[in-house]
Amino acid sequence: MERSFAKEIESLRLGDGDTFRGEGILAVTKALLQSGVSYVGGYQGAPVSHLIDVLVQAQDILDDLGIHLETCTNEASAAAMLGASIHYPARGCVTWKAIVGTNVASDALSNLASAGVTGGALIVVGEDYGEGASVIQERSHAYAMKSSMWLLDPRPDLPVITKTVQDAFELSEASNTPVMLELRIRACHVTGEFAAKTNQHAKVSRNSRLPGPSAFNYDRLAHPPATFMQEKLKLEQRMPAARKFILERGLNETMPGDLSEIGILVQGGLYNALNRALMNLGLADAFGNSRVPVLVLNVTYPLVPEQLNQFCAGKRAVLMVEEGSPDYIEQALCTALRRADINTRVHGKDMLPAAGEYTIEVLTRGLLAFVKAEQPQIDIAAADAVFNAALDNRKTAQALIGTNLPLRPPTFCTGCPERPVFTAIKLVEREIGKVHVAADIGCHALATFAPFSLGHSILGYGMSLASAAGVGPLMNTRSLAIMGDGGFWHNGVLSGVASSMFNRGDGVLIVMKNGYTSATGVQYIPSSAGNRVDGMSSGSDIETTLKALGVKWVRTLRSYGLKDMRASLKEALTTTTKGLKVILAEGECQLARQRRLRTDEAKALKSGERVVRTRFGIDDAVCTGDHSCIRLSGCPSLTIKPNPDALRTDPVASVNSGCVGCGHCGEVAHAAVLCPSFYKTEIVHNPGWWDRLNDRLHRAVIGWLGGRTAQAAQPAAGE
Amino acid sequence: MTTTRPLCILIAAMGGEGGGVLTGWIVDAAERAGYPVQSTSIPGVAQRTGATTYYIEIWPEKTTQRPVMCLNPMPGQVDVMIASEFVEAGRAIANGYVSPDRTLLIASTHRIFAVAEKSAMADGRYDVTKLFRAAKDHARQTVLFDMDQAAKDAGSILNAVLLGALAGSGALPLPAQAFEDGIRAEGKAVESNLAGFRFGLSHGEGELAVRAAQVAALPPAAAVPSLADRIARLPPAVQKFAAEGIKRLIDYQDEAYARLYLERLDTVVKLGDEALANETARHLALRMSFEDVIRVAQLKLKPERFSAIEREQRVRPDQPYTVAEFLKPGVEEIASLLPPALAQRVIALCDRRGWTEKLHFGMTVQSNRIGGFLKLRTLAGLRGWRPRSFRYAEEQQRIEDWLELIRRAAALDAAFAREIVDCARLIKGYGDTFKRGAGNFERIRARIILPVLEGRLAPAQASDALVQARTAALADPDGQSLGNMLGDFEASLRPTLPHAAE
Repeated sequence: MERSFAKEIESLRLGDGDTFRGEGILAVTKALLQSGVSYVGGYQGAPVSHLIDVLVQAQDILDDLGIHLETCTNEASAAAMLGASIHYPARGCVTWKAIVGTNVASDALSNLASAGVTGGALIVVGEDYGEGASVIQERSHAYAMKSSMWLLDPRPDLPVITKTVQDAFELSEASNTPVMLELRIRACHVTGEFAAKTNQHAKVSRNSRLPGPSAFNYDRLAHPPATFMQEKLKLEQRMPAARKFILERGLNETMPGDLSEIGILVQGGLYNALNRALMNLGLADAFGNSRVPVLVLNVTYPLVPEQLNQFCAGKRAVLMVEEGSPDYIEQALCTALRRADINTRVHGKDMLPAAGEYTIEVLTRGLLAFVKAEQPQIDIAAADAVFNAALDNRKTAQALIGTNLPLRPPTFCTGCPERPVFTAIKLVEREIGKVHVAADIGCHALATFAPFSLGHSILGYGMSLASAAGVGPLMNTRSLAIMGDGGFWHNGVLSGVASSMFNRGDGVLIVMKNGYTSATGVQYIPSSAGNRVDGMSSGSDIETTLKALGVKWVRTLRSYGLKDMRASLKEALTTTTKGLKVILAEGECQLARQRRLRTDEAKALKSGERVVRTRFGIDDAVCTGDHSCIRLSGCPSLTIKPNPDALRTDPVASVNSGCVGCGHCGEVAHAAVLCPSFYKTEIVHNPGWWDRLNDRLHRAVIGWLGGRTAQAAQPAAGE
Repeated sequence: MTTTRPLCILIAAMGGEGGGVLTGWIVDAAERAGYPVQSTSIPGVAQRTGATTYYIEIWPEKTTQRPVMCLNPMPGQVDVMIASEFVEAGRAIANGYVSPDRTLLIASTHRIFAVAEKSAMADGRYDVTKLFRAAKDHARQTVLFDMDQAAKDAGSILNAVLLGALAGSGALPLPAQAFEDGIRAEGKAVESNLAGFRFGLSHGEGELAVRAAQVAALPPAAAVPSLADRIARLPPAVQKFAAEGIKRLIDYQDEAYARLYLERLDTVVKLGDEALANETARHLALRMSFEDVIRVAQLKLKPERFSAIEREQRVRPDQPYTVAEFLKPGVEEIASLLPPALAQRVIALCDRRGWTEKLHFGMTVQSNRIGGFLKLRTLAGLRGWRPRSFRYAEEQQRIEDWLELIRRAAALDAAFAREIVDCARLIKGYGDTFKRGAGNFERIRARIILPVLEGRLAPAQASDALVQARTAALADPDGQSLGNMLGDFEASLRPTLPHAAE
């Protein structure tokens, strides 16, 4: 795993009277333990990866509490896992990245929500929305509404977040409904503190097992005719129960204010930004004392009409602060007020943008408009001036700096085993022309950026091959699908490979076999060499699986072997052999590999073992500054530097100290017939007598031949 | 209602640089000093060398009641902007996070080049000079120096230097001790981190002299006694490049060849335009020392090269090491060493058989091991033979042609002539790269330069066209842009052509 949580794990043991300090998502993890959860599952993905990662490393805590942990192969299996709470009084929590994870999970979620739950069922969704998001921009809200599940959006403040987690289980049990807890990216990573409670042992757990299954009960099956009755239950019993609970427990918070003519309703997750915006208008202080009454919706579905009406009644206007589209809450608010014949004006998307993250800047602009329109007597001229001054400052800065500031999208890590595969694709395209490339989710999606700029479509995780199914048959050239081993197991093996075999597909698939889901923080997958449970391989091998599915044309290649990769890829794309052709590009994730090697190497060096360190370099004098090598690699450690040559001006390519000696530079120089400026050094640390003798011999002979290649004797050498 | 506001710190960094560590240190120091603090970040995929940010708010008063702190920065409300790289600092300024009335900008002036800058076919580096200007104009105060170098000097890491600079700036109500304790408490690489921290600390207050990404200064031209007088006779402005050129060509071939260089240069010097002569001196030396297999072998065996490698790769004096060269000359590059008559026949044959593109002799040579050394020395030894080779003849003819174009152009328009000189930068590299460059030059020669020399086109128009053509030629490896550019250019001339044709 990419990160060690040793410190964090200790904080999971804290009890009554202790103070927990740490990241939002880890606070949620701690809250789960405090809520007596029986089982936890999920699928990794920013921003909620840490929830599972930390539990994986806290096995002894889980054992002590008897909690079952499942690192699921996709979100659907995680959602289905909540089925344990349908019949049994077991609290369960699953987590994933939204919106994409919820999309994958939705089939199971619909069935779960229809059947209803006995034990509290919680779904923690990392709302990957706004700056830093890596997926399509949609809201989880729609899922809550269509399946009648409850959606919590707590204030991004650790005490509130953790209390909400515990309330969520009770709400779920009080209304027999699964509950979704939505946390935005920054809320997952926000640091803070809260008063810890002692971890609770669950009623049902690995340590106190159920005697046996519950009695057969057809009404608990999401199967007709029960489903018709369940639909009624959702609306006539579960929702009212939920609303009652929300009111009685005061899950939503009303902040008083003297400007009683107006009010603001806000999603809990946006409260902090709203308060800062109010501060910018001089209408609130940093401790949340606001002059404008605010209704904080820590529960954004279901809404409680009575509560909305009570808050709005007697006001001339309210502002609905709701991030993203469609404006579900605003619509519901309007309906509620109309039904109650309350004529308070409702502002929202008319003053705030329909799309995009609601930053403090966005909210300040909206508030200025709201106050101007509804409380003109309040003097906000000063605030307005300050706000505009800041924007003018930005304008002048942009004018000065210009629009050509180089962008810096993420790229493959130094020595990444996936980079050479895309170099091979570029080289093959030089020979046979461009091919349609169906990209996928994973690190390899970084090839859509320069210098590779490869990929025509991304249709979801593990979907690349499926997304090419309709392209190949309509094109003269074969299409190429890229998939990671993570995507392969997530669903690519069925929705892609099986479907292609079933339909006699004739495409080419490259599976990046780096051994982990690396983009999400290097987690194990079924084909990993290890497994979190016992450290052994799970025994699910990709090549065997492909063969079992009937794939005849399978090549497993070292991803760094550019020559062979190029040849096989060309063959796959041009051979007359019909049927799916799969290339397995093998090469361990360099992040994981380096973490291991660095420690091993350090140990070896200390203990005086012989270590050969490989690095690459470029001769300034030979490099002419054309940079084709960079256009075919894009390695972070392959960069440029001012030309030391007195006569040349173009910068020369240069390999910086970050080089891990993966060898790709040399392979490219050879395969693409680039300039001869690349060289590889192999330095022997702790040399043996044979190394020394051999080295002296060569130096002596070369010296005798008139060459002076070995300078190592000079003091100039070394640091 | 209190009017106190939190201190806002925004950190711009690149994924994988450990910006999280820096953030952790600051948060830890604030907690130690008893101030409410909150941090957040947006890692996501940005963890892979992409631009990313970390945001911290510190409540400047010791209080038990926790204030409502925010998760994202607001333009105009950032007290300290920290950037681990200079273009990232520029990005922060352009995004409005550095304001004259409030922001202390702490940034390292070193550059980590973005892919777009690195992959350009010539020089795609962003010009940072305007960023220095922007920093001065938009920050209340700046601490700018090459912290990457500082970290290396201190045997530490960039983040430690940045932290020190922050502590030293006194922008936060936190004593340096609080930061040091944090570093100690973390217990990782404590000594080296403290070293970097103290370096930054000492430079936090006073701003250091800014070290921009400057082009290495030209080395003093080594005296070439036998030709000293010849150099002395050249205009002062030209002497530096000329001396450098002579040095290079004596090393490349022999003194006679260097004299040929001077004779050729004189024909341009005579034209009386110093700028023209100066650029010609530079490009002529480069063109005359064209890269062939012999030259590569020669360069690979230079003693100073091995010292450089040992420096760069940190080889300790007692460490055995090998240097493996990746050489893959094409059949054409080999054949072009033969005498013209023979070479042309071989190359023609290869073209007929379609070998030219396919046939390459890939070899990995260990240049500091006996076998490899002998291979390379044999190749380098062909230096004496070079003047009889086809490539040599071809290049001399190309060079003479280029000089002739310059001389004829100079008679019409000096500016135009200078642009022709500059077109030489298109011709560089090996194998395909060289062919592509030479081809592009040929297209420009035929479609812009000759029309002018034959009076079919006004030099003024053509000068701009040459600049555009050069840029276009370097825009993409497929010559697409150049093709379009030349097409558009000719189209724009069409109305005037019939008249010109008379």
